[in-house]
Amino acid sequence: MASSDPPAPQLEKQFEGFRVHLEESGSLRDRIRTVAMEIESATRLMHSSLLLVHQSRPLPEVLDKAKAQIGEIKDHYSRLAKILSECPGQYYRYHGDWRSETQTVVSLLAFMHWLEIGNLLMHDEAEEKLGLNNSEFGLDIEDYLIGVCFMSNELPRYVVNQVTAGDYDCPRKVRKFLTDLNASFRMLNLRNDFLRKKFDSLKYDLRKVEEVYYDVKIRGLTSSGDSKEDQVSQGQQ
Amino acid sequence: MRRVLVEPMLSCPALRLQRIFLLMASKPQRLHQWSTLQSSAKRARAMATEAESSLKDAFGKYADYLNNLNDKRERVVKASRDITMSSKKVIFQVHRMSKYNKEEVLEKAEKDLAAVTNQYVSRLVKELQGSDFWKLRRAYSPGVQEYVEAATLCKFCKTGTLLNLDEMNATLFPLSDPSQEPLQINVLDYLLGLADLTGELMRLAIGRISDGELEYAEKICKFVREIHRKLTLVVPLMDDSDDMKKKMDTMLQSVMKIENTCYSVHVRGSEYIPTLGSRDRFSLMGVPDIEL
Repeated sequence: MASSDPPAPQLEKQFEGFRVHLEESGSLRDRIRTVAMEIESATRLMHSSLLLVHQSRPLPEVLDKAKAQIGEIKDHYSRLAKILSECPGQYYRYHGDWRSETQTVVSLLAFMHWLEIGNLLMHDEAEEKLGLNNSEFGLDIEDYLIGVCFMSNELPRYVVNQVTAGDYDCPRKVRKFLTDLNASFRMLNLRNDFLRKKFDSLKYDLRKVEEVYYDVKIRGLTSSGDSKEDQVSQGQQ
Repeated sequence: MRRVLVEPMLSCPALRLQRIFLLMASKPQRLHQWSTLQSSAKRARAMATEAESSLKDAFGKYADYLNNLNDKRERVVKASRDITMSSKKVIFQVHRMSKYNKEEVLEKAEKDLAAVTNQYVSRLVKELQGSDFWKLRRAYSPGVQEYVEAATLCKFCKTGTLLNLDEMNATLFPLSDPSQEPLQINVLDYLLGLADLTGELMRLAIGRISDGELEYAEKICKFVREIHRKLTLVVPLMDDSDDMKKKMDTMLQSVMKIENTCYSVHVRGSEYIPTLGSRDRFSLMGVPDIEL
């Protein structure tokens, strides 16, 4: 068999082109992953600072410490945006490489926003916080929504610990917030995907918070915030 | 293109209202306690409804976004499925080829392929509207792969060469609205399609051998071998190469099947060469591994 024929030059050329193209996109992906990892480690620092809310540390102190990371995260996102500007139109080709990191960032930002202001961090506000509002590189809506669901997962624990520390008004506030949030999510027609699953978990968060609210209310702890000492022992039974 | 949704949201008045509310709410609580109980309660209620409605507005926008995206995805999936089905028909048409009707069969296959391009691929182009090529890739990738397979198979049977990606994409240009970004098949889908092509070529080679066209089968064998060799170099670099790695294994199987068949005929050829080409099915006897 004449398998020693030289391969067609056309074929050769095309595959050489593919190799170059794929190597370039591979190295681009490596750079994206590096930034995504840095985002992740900055986020982890922010998360650990924020976890202090469960230990009843004063809110401003906790928030200040957590906020200290925002600047760095913002820088990372601007680097990411710059890398992605090298391949216009391919945002979603590489999207998977920073997706989960971004969802975590959104969840922490939304939690901090809620602690500080008491309402939901909107999509455009989240973009603004990450410095993405004016760039071609934006925050994907689904990532934002998943991040919001992640935040709701944090709230039952927060409520439990707040009540233990004597803040009996907290369950009411959180319950109201989660009820509104749940109602808002119901407006969305979701596919059978990850977001849907996360949204399903939101109602369990709400239920848990409702239980705490019930516990506190039935014992009459909500009406006055004065004699805290007694109420704590009652609430712990 | 993705900004389309985000821009109107920034100018949404309800969100502005909410910003104002944020400013008010972040002031120390004590300030409010000085005002009369009634008015503060009223204000609180007003603020609460304001916050609620802004939440509703925002989620209304998110809902619109998700609805549009999902509808578009559904339509793209449908278009992709139609491309798959009609491309499969083209491939079957190619396999109807025999020693004697080659030209006629291939002509029909090419005509069918042109119909696929003009009817179904153009619909995919229309549904994608010049955007979200990567976001919705998963929705249309199977159809595009099958289309690549059909187009490259036709081209190989006609000229014995590989249809290049650039050549394929050139035929897609006229389908797009000049004002929009044209749909171009990406390297990944092209390579995935090529991997499937080798399976079809294996079938074709076996068919040619049973028809007595040994040389044709050897030509196929060389071609498939070369594609496999080329692909080994680029597959590890591909975006999500797991899928492709599986295809590579199958491809190697196909290559070896052709090689073994060619070998059998080569080694034992003298025994039945006189009957080869007589369309006598008995000519297959003694050739192992012939199965479709």
